[in-house]
Amino acid sequence: MVELKNVSVTYSTGVDALNNVSLRINDGDFAFVVGSSGAGKSTLIKLILKEIDATSGVVMVNGCNLTKLRKKKIPEFRRTIGFVFQDFRLIPTMTVYENIAFVLRVIDAPRKYIRKRVPYVISLVGLQEKANAYPNQLSGGEQQRVAIARALVNDPQLIIADEPTGNIDPELSYEIVELLKGINECGTTILMVTHEHDLVRHFGGRIININSGEVVFDEVIGGVNEA
Amino acid sequence: MKLSGVRYLTRQGLENIWKNRMMAFASFCVLLVSILLVGVSVLLFMNLDSMIGGIEDKNEVIVFLNTDITQEQTEQVQSKLEQMDNIENITFYSKEKAMEDMKESMKEYADVFDSLGTDNPLPDSFRLRIKDISHTAETVTLMKEIDNILKIRAPYDFVNVLSEIRNIITWVASAVIIALAIVSMVIISNTTKASVFARRNEISIMKYVGATNAFIRFPFFVEGMVTGAVAGVIATIITWIGYDAVVDLLTHEVNLLNVIGVGSIIPFGKIAIKVAVIYALAGALIGALGSVFSTRKHLDV
Repeated sequence: MVELKNVSVTYSTGVDALNNVSLRINDGDFAFVVGSSGAGKSTLIKLILKEIDATSGVVMVNGCNLTKLRKKKIPEFRRTIGFVFQDFRLIPTMTVYENIAFVLRVIDAPRKYIRKRVPYVISLVGLQEKANAYPNQLSGGEQQRVAIARALVNDPQLIIADEPTGNIDPELSYEIVELLKGINECGTTILMVTHEHDLVRHFGGRIININSGEVVFDEVIGGVNEA
Repeated sequence: MKLSGVRYLTRQGLENIWKNRMMAFASFCVLLVSILLVGVSVLLFMNLDSMIGGIEDKNEVIVFLNTDITQEQTEQVQSKLEQMDNIENITFYSKEKAMEDMKESMKEYADVFDSLGTDNPLPDSFRLRIKDISHTAETVTLMKEIDNILKIRAPYDFVNVLSEIRNIITWVASAVIIALAIVSMVIISNTTKASVFARRNEISIMKYVGATNAFIRFPFFVEGMVTGAVAGVIATIITWIGYDAVVDLLTHEVNLLNVIGVGSIIPFGKIAIKVAVIYALAGALIGALGSVFSTRKHLDV
Protein backbone atom coordinates (compact mmCIF):
# COMPACT_ATOMS: atom_id res chain seq x y z
CA MET A 1 0.00 0.00 0.00
CA VAL A 2 1.14 3.47 -0.89
CA GLU A 3 -0.30 6.49 0.83
CA LEU A 4 0.68 10.12 0.47
CA LYS A 5 -0.86 12.71 2.78
CA ASN A 6 -0.49 16.37 1.83
CA VAL A 7 2.96 15.76 0.41
CA SER A 8 5.00 18.59 -1.01
CA VAL A 9 8.51 18.35 -2.40
CA THR A 10 10.61 21.41 -3.04
CA TYR A 11 14.08 20.83 -4.45
CA SER A 12 17.01 22.83 -3.16
CA THR A 13 16.97 24.68 -6.48
CA GLY A 14 13.61 26.12 -5.44
CA VAL A 15 11.59 24.04 -7.87
CA ASP A 16 8.27 22.80 -6.48
CA ALA A 17 8.08 19.27 -7.82
CA LEU A 18 5.02 18.12 -5.91
CA ASN A 19 2.45 20.38 -4.37
CA ASN A 20 0.21 19.12 -1.58
CA VAL A 21 -0.43 15.71 -3.14
CA SER A 22 -2.66 13.20 -1.41
CA LEU A 23 -2.91 9.76 -2.92
CA ARG A 24 -3.75 6.25 -1.87
CA ILE A 25 -3.01 3.06 -3.74
CA ASN A 26 -4.47 0.03 -2.01
CA ASP A 27 -3.01 -3.44 -1.84
CA GLY A 28 -3.78 -5.33 -5.01
CA ASP A 29 -4.39 -2.22 -7.12
CA PHE A 30 -3.03 -1.67 -10.60
CA ALA A 31 -2.52 2.00 -11.31
CA PHE A 32 -1.13 3.89 -14.28
CA VAL A 33 0.63 7.14 -13.49
CA VAL A 34 0.62 9.46 -16.47
CA GLY A 35 1.70 13.04 -17.09
CA SER A 36 4.07 15.01 -19.25
CA SER A 37 7.78 15.15 -18.48
CA GLY A 38 8.61 17.40 -15.59
CA ALA A 39 5.14 16.99 -14.16
CA GLY A 40 6.38 15.25 -11.04
CA LYS A 41 6.14 11.55 -11.93
CA SER A 42 9.80 10.88 -11.24
CA THR A 43 9.60 12.77 -7.98
CA LEU A 44 6.70 10.56 -6.94
CA ILE A 45 8.72 7.43 -7.71
CA LYS A 46 11.77 8.75 -5.89
CA LEU A 47 9.62 9.50 -2.87
CA ILE A 48 8.26 5.98 -2.79
CA LEU A 49 11.79 4.53 -3.06
CA LYS A 50 13.00 6.94 -0.41
CA GLU A 51 15.64 8.31 -2.69
CA ILE A 52 14.40 11.73 -1.62
CA ASP A 53 12.41 12.92 1.37
CA ALA A 54 9.20 14.89 1.34
CA THR A 55 9.59 18.54 2.28
CA SER A 56 6.29 18.26 4.11
CA GLY A 57 3.55 15.66 4.51
CA VAL A 58 3.63 11.95 5.23
CA VAL A 59 4.61 9.11 2.88
CA MET A 60 3.59 5.59 3.89
CA VAL A 61 4.74 2.63 1.81
CA ASN A 62 4.12 -1.01 2.75
CA GLY A 63 3.47 0.00 6.33
CA CYS A 64 6.64 2.08 6.69
CA ASN A 65 6.47 5.75 7.44
CA LEU A 66 9.21 6.91 5.09
CA THR A 67 9.59 10.31 6.71
CA LYS A 68 10.67 8.54 9.87
CA LEU A 69 12.53 5.59 8.34
CA ARG A 70 16.15 5.52 9.46
CA LYS A 71 18.86 5.33 6.82
CA LYS A 72 20.03 1.96 8.08
CA LYS A 73 16.59 0.50 7.50
CA ILE A 74 16.39 1.55 3.86
CA PRO A 75 17.79 -1.72 2.41
CA GLU A 76 15.28 -3.73 4.44
CA PHE A 77 12.46 -1.49 3.27
CA ARG A 78 13.46 -1.71 -0.38
CA ARG A 79 13.25 -5.48 -0.25
CA THR A 80 9.48 -5.11 -0.03
CA ILE A 81 9.39 -3.37 -3.41
CA GLY A 82 10.25 -4.58 -6.90
CA PHE A 83 11.40 -2.21 -9.62
CA VAL A 84 11.26 -2.29 -13.38
CA PHE A 85 13.11 0.45 -15.21
CA GLN A 86 12.78 1.86 -18.68
CA ASP A 87 16.36 0.91 -19.50
CA PHE A 88 16.06 -2.61 -17.96
CA ARG A 89 19.22 -2.17 -15.84
CA LEU A 90 20.30 -5.75 -16.11
CA ILE A 91 23.89 -6.49 -15.19
CA PRO A 92 25.58 -7.16 -18.54
CA THR A 93 28.22 -9.51 -17.13
CA MET A 94 25.62 -11.86 -15.64
CA THR A 95 23.37 -14.37 -17.34
CA VAL A 96 19.59 -14.15 -17.09
CA TYR A 97 19.64 -16.68 -14.28
CA GLU A 98 22.38 -14.84 -12.38
CA ASN A 99 20.69 -11.48 -12.80
CA ILE A 100 17.62 -12.83 -11.07
CA ALA A 101 19.39 -14.99 -8.50
CA PHE A 102 21.44 -11.94 -7.58
CA VAL A 103 18.41 -10.30 -5.93
CA LEU A 104 17.93 -13.28 -3.67
CA ARG A 105 21.62 -13.40 -2.80
CA VAL A 106 21.43 -9.76 -1.80
CA ILE A 107 18.73 -10.59 0.73
CA ASP A 108 20.71 -13.60 1.93
CA ALA A 109 18.17 -16.21 0.83
CA PRO A 110 19.12 -19.87 1.35
CA ARG A 111 20.76 -21.45 -1.70
CA LYS A 112 18.19 -24.19 -1.85
CA TYR A 113 15.44 -21.60 -2.15
CA ILE A 114 17.36 -19.70 -4.84
CA ARG A 115 17.73 -22.88 -6.91
CA LYS A 116 13.99 -23.45 -6.75
CA ARG A 117 12.68 -19.93 -6.98
CA VAL A 118 14.73 -18.54 -9.88
CA PRO A 119 13.73 -21.16 -12.50
CA TYR A 120 10.14 -20.69 -11.38
CA VAL A 121 10.05 -16.93 -12.05
CA ILE A 122 11.95 -17.42 -15.29
CA SER A 123 9.18 -19.77 -16.39
CA LEU A 124 6.57 -17.21 -15.32
CA VAL A 125 7.95 -14.74 -17.87
CA GLY A 126 8.44 -17.51 -20.43
CA LEU A 127 12.21 -17.35 -20.81
CA GLN A 128 13.17 -20.91 -19.83
CA GLU A 129 15.15 -21.27 -23.06
CA LYS A 130 17.20 -18.14 -22.38
CA ALA A 131 18.17 -18.73 -18.75
CA ASN A 132 21.87 -18.94 -19.62
CA ALA A 133 21.91 -16.13 -22.16
CA TYR A 134 23.50 -12.77 -21.46
CA PRO A 135 21.37 -9.60 -21.64
CA ASN A 136 23.00 -8.41 -24.88
CA GLN A 137 21.88 -11.64 -26.57
CA LEU A 138 18.23 -10.80 -25.87
CA SER A 139 15.73 -8.50 -27.54
CA GLY A 140 14.44 -5.44 -25.67
CA GLY A 141 11.18 -7.17 -24.86
CA GLU A 142 12.99 -10.21 -23.51
CA GLN A 143 15.30 -8.06 -21.44
CA GLN A 144 12.34 -6.30 -19.91
CA ARG A 145 10.78 -9.67 -19.10
CA VAL A 146 13.98 -10.61 -17.30
CA ALA A 147 13.72 -7.34 -15.39
CA ILE A 148 10.15 -8.17 -14.45
CA ALA A 149 11.18 -11.61 -13.28
CA ARG A 150 13.86 -9.94 -11.21
CA ALA A 151 11.33 -7.55 -9.68
CA LEU A 152 9.12 -10.51 -8.91
CA VAL A 153 11.62 -12.95 -7.49
CA ASN A 154 11.62 -11.82 -3.86
CA ASP A 155 7.83 -11.72 -3.83
CA PRO A 156 7.41 -7.99 -3.17
CA GLN A 157 4.15 -6.43 -2.06
CA LEU A 158 4.55 -3.64 -4.57
CA ILE A 159 6.12 -3.41 -8.00
CA ILE A 160 6.97 -0.03 -9.45
CA ALA A 161 7.45 0.02 -13.19
CA ASP A 162 8.94 3.25 -14.49
CA GLU A 163 8.15 3.50 -18.22
CA PRO A 164 8.68 -0.23 -18.69
CA THR A 165 7.64 -0.05 -22.34
CA GLY A 166 9.63 3.07 -23.16
CA ASN A 167 12.50 1.25 -24.85
CA ILE A 168 10.74 -1.59 -26.61
CA ASP A 169 8.71 -2.07 -29.78
CA PRO A 170 5.07 -0.96 -29.47
CA GLU A 171 3.66 -4.39 -30.29
CA LEU A 172 5.78 -5.93 -27.54
CA SER A 173 4.63 -3.26 -25.10
CA TYR A 174 1.25 -4.90 -24.80
CA GLU A 175 2.92 -8.17 -23.88
CA ILE A 176 4.80 -6.47 -21.08
CA VAL A 177 1.69 -4.84 -19.66
CA GLU A 178 -0.20 -8.15 -19.94
CA LEU A 179 2.57 -9.72 -17.91
CA LEU A 180 2.30 -7.02 -15.25
CA LYS A 181 -1.47 -7.43 -15.21
CA GLY A 182 -1.03 -11.14 -14.67
CA ILE A 183 1.28 -10.50 -11.74
CA ASN A 184 -1.26 -8.04 -10.36
CA GLU A 185 -3.96 -10.68 -10.49
CA CYS A 186 -1.87 -12.78 -8.13
CA GLY A 187 -2.13 -9.99 -5.56
CA THR A 188 0.88 -7.74 -6.10
CA THR A 189 0.20 -4.02 -6.16
CA ILE A 190 1.51 -2.43 -9.34
CA LEU A 191 2.28 1.18 -10.07
CA MET A 192 3.21 1.78 -13.68
CA VAL A 193 4.47 5.13 -14.90
CA THR A 194 3.99 5.71 -18.60
CA HIS A 195 3.23 8.36 -21.14
CA GLU A 196 1.93 6.00 -23.78
CA HIS A 197 -1.71 6.97 -23.82
CA ASP A 198 -2.63 4.26 -26.33
CA LEU A 199 -1.52 1.66 -23.87
CA VAL A 200 -3.49 3.21 -21.04
CA ARG A 201 -6.60 3.51 -23.17
CA HIS A 202 -6.24 -0.09 -24.27
CA PHE A 203 -5.97 -1.59 -20.81
CA GLY A 204 -7.91 0.91 -18.75
CA GLY A 205 -8.01 0.70 -14.96
CA ARG A 206 -7.00 3.33 -12.49
CA ILE A 207 -5.35 6.34 -14.07
CA ILE A 208 -3.50 8.94 -12.01
CA ASN A 209 -2.58 12.01 -14.03
CA ILE A 210 0.00 14.30 -12.53
CA ASN A 211 0.48 17.77 -13.91
CA SER A 212 2.65 20.57 -12.54
CA GLY A 213 3.10 18.71 -9.29
CA GLU A 214 -0.58 18.12 -8.65
CA VAL A 215 -2.92 15.19 -9.19
CA VAL A 216 -5.32 16.49 -11.81
CA PHE A 217 -7.12 13.24 -12.57
CA ASP A 218 -7.52 10.05 -10.56
CA GLU A 219 -10.26 7.74 -11.77
CA VAL A 220 -10.92 4.24 -13.01
CA ILE A 221 -11.70 4.07 -16.72
CA GLY A 222 -12.82 1.14 -18.80
CA GLY A 223 -10.26 -0.31 -21.16
CA VAL A 224 -10.91 -1.06 -24.81
CA ASN A 225 -10.36 -4.74 -24.28
CA GLU A 226 -12.79 -4.87 -21.38
CA ALA A 227 -15.60 -3.27 -23.32
CA MET B 1 25.64 -12.00 7.06
CA LYS B 2 25.60 -15.75 6.74
CA LEU B 3 28.63 -17.84 5.89
CA SER B 4 27.20 -18.75 2.48
CA GLY B 5 26.80 -15.02 1.85
CA VAL B 6 30.45 -14.36 2.72
CA ARG B 7 31.50 -17.21 0.45
CA TYR B 8 29.39 -15.86 -2.37
CA LEU B 9 30.71 -12.33 -1.97
CA THR B 10 34.30 -13.51 -1.77
CA ARG B 11 33.81 -15.40 -5.02
CA GLN B 12 32.20 -12.29 -6.48
CA GLY B 13 35.22 -10.23 -5.47
CA LEU B 14 37.57 -12.73 -7.11
CA GLU B 15 35.43 -12.86 -10.26
CA ASN B 16 35.37 -9.08 -10.35
CA ILE B 17 39.13 -9.03 -10.56
CA TRP B 18 38.92 -11.02 -13.78
CA LYS B 19 35.89 -9.18 -15.13
CA ASN B 20 37.53 -5.82 -14.51
CA ARG B 21 40.99 -7.06 -15.30
CA MET B 22 42.21 -3.80 -16.84
CA MET B 23 41.22 -1.90 -13.73
CA ALA B 24 42.57 -4.64 -11.48
CA PHE B 25 45.80 -4.60 -13.45
CA ALA B 26 46.08 -0.84 -12.98
CA SER B 27 45.55 -1.21 -9.21
CA PHE B 28 48.03 -4.04 -9.19
CA CYS B 29 50.69 -1.96 -10.98
CA VAL B 30 50.21 1.03 -8.71
CA LEU B 31 50.44 -1.16 -5.63
CA LEU B 32 53.43 -3.00 -7.01
CA VAL B 33 55.32 0.24 -7.63
CA SER B 34 54.32 1.65 -4.24
CA ILE B 35 55.35 -1.48 -2.37
CA LEU B 36 58.61 -1.62 -4.31
CA LEU B 37 59.38 2.03 -3.60
CA VAL B 38 58.62 1.73 0.09
CA GLY B 39 60.26 -1.69 0.37
CA VAL B 40 63.44 -0.68 -1.42
CA SER B 41 63.68 2.48 0.71
CA VAL B 42 63.33 0.40 3.87
CA LEU B 43 65.89 -2.15 2.70
CA LEU B 44 68.29 0.58 1.71
CA PHE B 45 67.84 2.19 5.08
CA MET B 46 68.33 -1.10 6.89
CA ASN B 47 71.54 -1.73 4.97
CA LEU B 48 72.90 1.74 5.55
CA ASP B 49 72.12 1.31 9.20
CA SER B 50 73.82 -2.05 9.25
CA MET B 51 76.86 -0.62 7.47
CA ILE B 52 77.10 2.24 9.90
CA GLY B 53 76.73 -0.30 12.68
CA GLY B 54 79.56 -2.27 11.07
CA ILE B 55 81.81 0.74 11.04
CA GLU B 56 80.89 1.53 14.59
CA ASP B 57 81.82 -1.97 15.61
CA LYS B 58 85.26 -1.29 14.28
CA ASN B 59 85.69 1.80 16.39
CA GLU B 60 88.95 1.37 18.20
CA VAL B 61 90.62 3.60 20.67
CA ILE B 62 94.36 3.27 21.09
CA VAL B 63 95.89 4.37 24.37
CA PHE B 64 99.67 4.84 24.02
CA LEU B 65 101.65 4.56 27.21
CA ASN B 66 104.77 6.47 28.20
CA THR B 67 107.90 4.73 26.91
CA ASP B 68 109.62 4.66 30.32
CA ILE B 69 106.71 2.94 32.01
CA THR B 70 107.23 0.03 34.41
CA GLN B 71 105.35 -3.23 34.42
CA GLU B 72 103.58 -2.20 37.61
CA GLN B 73 102.49 1.14 36.22
CA THR B 74 101.17 -0.57 33.09
CA GLU B 75 99.01 -2.81 35.25
CA GLN B 76 97.77 0.25 37.11
CA VAL B 77 96.71 1.87 33.88
CA GLN B 78 94.99 -1.32 32.81
CA SER B 79 93.03 -1.66 36.05
CA LYS B 80 91.99 1.98 35.84
CA LEU B 81 90.80 1.49 32.28
CA GLU B 82 88.91 -1.62 33.31
CA GLN B 83 87.06 0.37 35.96
CA MET B 84 85.62 2.71 33.36
CA ASP B 85 82.03 2.04 32.31
CA ASN B 86 82.04 2.93 28.66
CA ILE B 87 84.91 0.68 27.65
CA GLU B 88 85.16 -2.96 26.64
CA ASN B 89 87.59 -5.41 25.03
CA ILE B 90 90.77 -3.99 26.47
CA THR B 91 93.79 -5.71 24.97
CA PHE B 92 97.46 -5.03 25.59
CA TYR B 93 99.59 -4.39 22.55
CA SER B 94 103.23 -4.51 23.49
CA LYS B 95 105.93 -2.43 21.84
CA GLU B 96 107.70 -5.61 20.67
CA LYS B 97 104.56 -6.74 18.88
CA ALA B 98 104.13 -3.25 17.48
CA MET B 99 107.66 -3.36 16.13
CA GLU B 100 107.16 -6.74 14.53
CA ASP B 101 103.92 -5.63 12.91
CA MET B 102 105.58 -2.52 11.63
CA LYS B 103 108.49 -4.45 10.17
CA GLU B 104 106.05 -6.82 8.60
CA SER B 105 104.06 -4.05 6.96
CA MET B 106 107.10 -2.11 5.75
CA LYS B 107 109.49 -4.73 4.47
CA GLU B 108 111.22 -2.33 2.06
CA TYR B 109 112.51 -0.37 5.05
CA ALA B 110 114.01 -3.44 6.75
CA ASP B 111 117.44 -1.71 6.71
CA VAL B 112 116.14 1.19 8.72
CA PHE B 113 114.64 -1.10 11.28
CA ASP B 114 117.78 -3.22 11.44
CA SER B 115 119.86 -0.11 12.12
CA LEU B 116 117.86 0.46 15.26
CA GLY B 117 119.28 -2.75 16.67
CA THR B 118 117.60 -3.63 19.89
CA ASP B 119 116.35 -0.10 20.45
CA ASN B 120 112.57 0.09 20.25
CA PRO B 121 111.25 3.65 20.12
CA LEU B 122 107.65 2.51 19.94
CA PRO B 123 105.42 2.77 23.02
CA ASP B 124 103.32 0.03 24.58
CA SER B 125 99.61 0.52 24.05
CA PHE B 126 96.14 -0.66 24.98
CA ARG B 127 93.52 -1.16 22.32
CA LEU B 128 89.92 -0.92 23.44
CA ARG B 129 86.44 -0.32 22.24
CA ILE B 130 83.95 2.31 23.28
CA LYS B 131 80.56 0.86 24.15
CA ASP B 132 78.42 3.91 23.49
CA ILE B 133 80.11 5.88 20.78
CA SER B 134 77.99 8.96 21.32
CA HIS B 135 79.91 9.52 24.57
CA THR B 136 83.35 9.02 23.08
CA ALA B 137 84.55 12.53 23.86
CA GLU B 138 83.68 12.34 27.57
CA THR B 139 85.27 8.90 27.89
CA VAL B 140 88.47 10.10 26.27
CA THR B 141 88.62 13.11 28.60
CA LEU B 142 88.30 10.76 31.59
CA MET B 143 91.04 8.51 30.25
CA LYS B 144 93.39 11.44 29.88
CA GLU B 145 93.34 11.88 33.67
CA ILE B 146 95.08 8.53 34.13
CA ASP B 147 98.86 8.84 34.72
CA ASN B 148 101.53 7.55 32.38
CA ILE B 149 99.50 7.95 29.25
CA LEU B 150 101.36 9.38 26.32
CA LYS B 151 98.58 9.86 23.85
CA ILE B 152 95.07 8.68 23.07
CA ARG B 153 93.93 8.13 19.54
CA ALA B 154 90.12 7.98 19.26
CA PRO B 155 88.04 8.18 16.10
CA TYR B 156 85.51 10.52 17.63
CA ASP B 157 85.18 12.95 14.75
CA PHE B 158 84.39 10.10 12.43
CA VAL B 159 82.04 8.59 14.96
CA ASN B 160 80.19 11.86 15.40
CA VAL B 161 79.70 12.18 11.66
CA LEU B 162 78.36 8.64 11.50
CA SER B 163 75.86 9.21 14.28
CA GLU B 164 74.76 12.37 12.55
CA ILE B 165 74.34 10.59 9.22
CA ARG B 166 72.36 7.82 10.85
CA ASN B 167 70.02 10.33 12.45
CA ILE B 168 69.48 12.17 9.19
CA ILE B 169 68.88 8.93 7.31
CA THR B 170 66.36 7.78 9.91
CA TRP B 171 64.38 10.98 9.53
CA VAL B 172 64.55 11.11 5.76
CA ALA B 173 63.68 7.44 5.41
CA SER B 174 60.71 7.74 7.78
CA ALA B 175 59.43 10.77 5.89
CA VAL B 176 59.84 9.03 2.53
CA ILE B 177 58.09 5.89 3.74
CA ILE B 178 55.15 7.79 5.23
CA ALA B 179 54.81 9.95 2.11
CA LEU B 180 54.88 6.91 -0.18
CA ALA B 181 52.34 5.04 1.94
CA ILE B 182 49.97 8.01 1.77
CA VAL B 183 50.49 8.44 -1.97
CA SER B 184 49.81 4.73 -2.51
CA MET B 185 46.59 4.95 -0.54
CA VAL B 186 45.43 7.96 -2.52
CA ILE B 187 46.22 6.30 -5.84
CA ILE B 188 44.55 3.05 -4.84
CA SER B 189 41.53 4.90 -3.59
CA ASN B 190 41.34 6.65 -6.95
CA THR B 191 41.70 3.41 -8.86
CA THR B 192 38.94 1.91 -6.78
CA LYS B 193 36.87 5.00 -7.44
CA ALA B 194 37.24 4.31 -11.13
CA SER B 195 36.36 0.69 -10.52
CA VAL B 196 33.29 1.72 -8.51
CA PHE B 197 32.39 4.12 -11.30
CA ALA B 198 32.72 1.39 -13.90
CA ARG B 199 30.28 -0.68 -11.89
CA ARG B 200 27.93 2.11 -10.87
CA ASN B 201 24.98 0.49 -12.67
CA GLU B 202 25.52 -2.76 -10.88
CA ILE B 203 25.81 -0.91 -7.58
CA SER B 204 22.69 1.13 -8.18
CA ILE B 205 20.77 -2.07 -8.97
CA MET B 206 22.09 -3.60 -5.79
CA LYS B 207 20.83 -0.61 -3.85
CA TYR B 208 17.42 -0.84 -5.47
CA VAL B 209 16.96 -4.45 -4.56
CA GLY B 210 17.85 -3.73 -0.97
CA ALA B 211 21.52 -4.65 -0.64
CA THR B 212 23.13 -3.37 2.53
CA ASN B 213 26.22 -1.20 2.21
CA ALA B 214 28.33 -3.96 3.73
CA PHE B 215 27.09 -6.37 1.08
CA ILE B 216 28.03 -3.98 -1.72
CA ARG B 217 31.39 -3.14 -0.22
CA PHE B 218 32.55 -6.63 0.56
CA PRO B 219 33.51 -7.72 -2.99
CA PHE B 220 35.46 -4.49 -3.45
CA PHE B 221 37.19 -5.19 -0.18
CA VAL B 222 38.12 -8.71 -1.32
CA GLU B 223 39.18 -7.37 -4.69
CA GLY B 224 41.45 -4.72 -3.18
CA MET B 225 42.88 -7.10 -0.65
CA VAL B 226 43.67 -9.88 -3.10
CA THR B 227 45.10 -7.48 -5.69
CA GLY B 228 47.27 -5.96 -2.97
CA ALA B 229 48.46 -9.31 -1.67
CA VAL B 230 49.37 -10.50 -5.18
CA ALA B 231 51.21 -7.23 -5.80
CA GLY B 232 53.07 -7.88 -2.54
CA VAL B 233 54.15 -11.34 -3.64
CA ILE B 234 55.32 -10.13 -7.06
CA ALA B 235 57.10 -7.22 -5.39
CA THR B 236 58.92 -9.70 -3.16
CA ILE B 237 60.16 -11.63 -6.16
CA ILE B 238 61.29 -8.46 -7.97
CA THR B 239 62.98 -7.16 -4.83
CA TRP B 240 64.73 -10.48 -4.32
CA ILE B 241 66.12 -10.56 -7.86
CA GLY B 242 67.07 -6.88 -7.78
CA TYR B 243 68.61 -7.10 -4.34
CA ASP B 244 70.76 -10.09 -5.19
CA ALA B 245 71.88 -8.41 -8.40
CA VAL B 246 72.93 -5.26 -6.55
CA VAL B 247 74.70 -7.22 -3.81
CA ASP B 248 76.45 -9.24 -6.51
CA LEU B 249 77.56 -6.08 -8.25
CA LEU B 250 78.82 -4.52 -5.05
CA THR B 251 80.71 -7.60 -3.88
CA HIS B 252 82.25 -8.72 -7.17
CA GLU B 253 82.57 -5.73 -9.45
CA VAL B 254 83.23 -2.90 -7.09
CA ASN B 255 85.69 -2.93 -4.29
CA LEU B 256 83.66 -0.40 -2.41
CA LEU B 257 82.49 -2.96 0.09
CA ASN B 258 86.01 -3.90 1.02
CA VAL B 259 86.34 -0.40 2.34
CA ILE B 260 83.13 -0.57 4.30
CA GLY B 261 83.17 -4.27 5.06
CA VAL B 262 81.14 -6.81 3.12
CA GLY B 263 79.70 -8.33 6.25
CA SER B 264 77.60 -5.22 6.69
CA ILE B 265 75.24 -6.05 3.80
CA ILE B 266 72.22 -7.98 4.98
CA PRO B 267 71.88 -11.14 2.84
CA PHE B 268 68.36 -11.41 1.34
CA GLY B 269 67.89 -15.01 2.41
CA LYS B 270 68.02 -13.83 6.02
CA ILE B 271 65.08 -11.46 5.60
CA ALA B 272 63.21 -13.07 2.68
CA ILE B 273 60.29 -14.44 4.70
CA LYS B 274 59.96 -11.24 6.68
CA VAL B 275 60.00 -9.18 3.49
CA ALA B 276 57.46 -11.44 1.77
CA VAL B 277 55.05 -11.37 4.72
CA ILE B 278 55.37 -7.63 5.24
CA TYR B 279 54.99 -6.91 1.51
CA ALA B 280 51.92 -9.11 1.17
CA LEU B 281 50.33 -7.74 4.33
CA ALA B 282 51.12 -4.15 3.39
CA GLY B 283 49.71 -4.71 -0.09
CA ALA B 284 46.57 -6.36 1.24
CA LEU B 285 46.09 -3.63 3.84
CA ILE B 286 46.62 -0.73 1.45
CA GLY B 287 44.44 -2.39 -1.19
CA ALA B 288 41.64 -3.14 1.25
CA LEU B 289 41.76 0.27 2.95
CA GLY B 290 41.93 2.11 -0.34
CA SER B 291 38.86 0.33 -1.65
CA VAL B 292 36.96 0.72 1.63
CA PHE B 293 37.59 4.48 1.75
CA SER B 294 36.64 4.85 -1.85
CA THR B 295 33.46 2.75 -1.71
CA ARG B 296 32.42 4.41 1.53
CA LYS B 297 32.54 7.77 -0.19
CA HIS B 298 30.63 6.55 -3.23
CA LEU B 299 27.96 4.30 -1.89
CA ASP B 300 25.69 6.75 -0.17
CA VAL B 301 22.70 7.04 -2.46
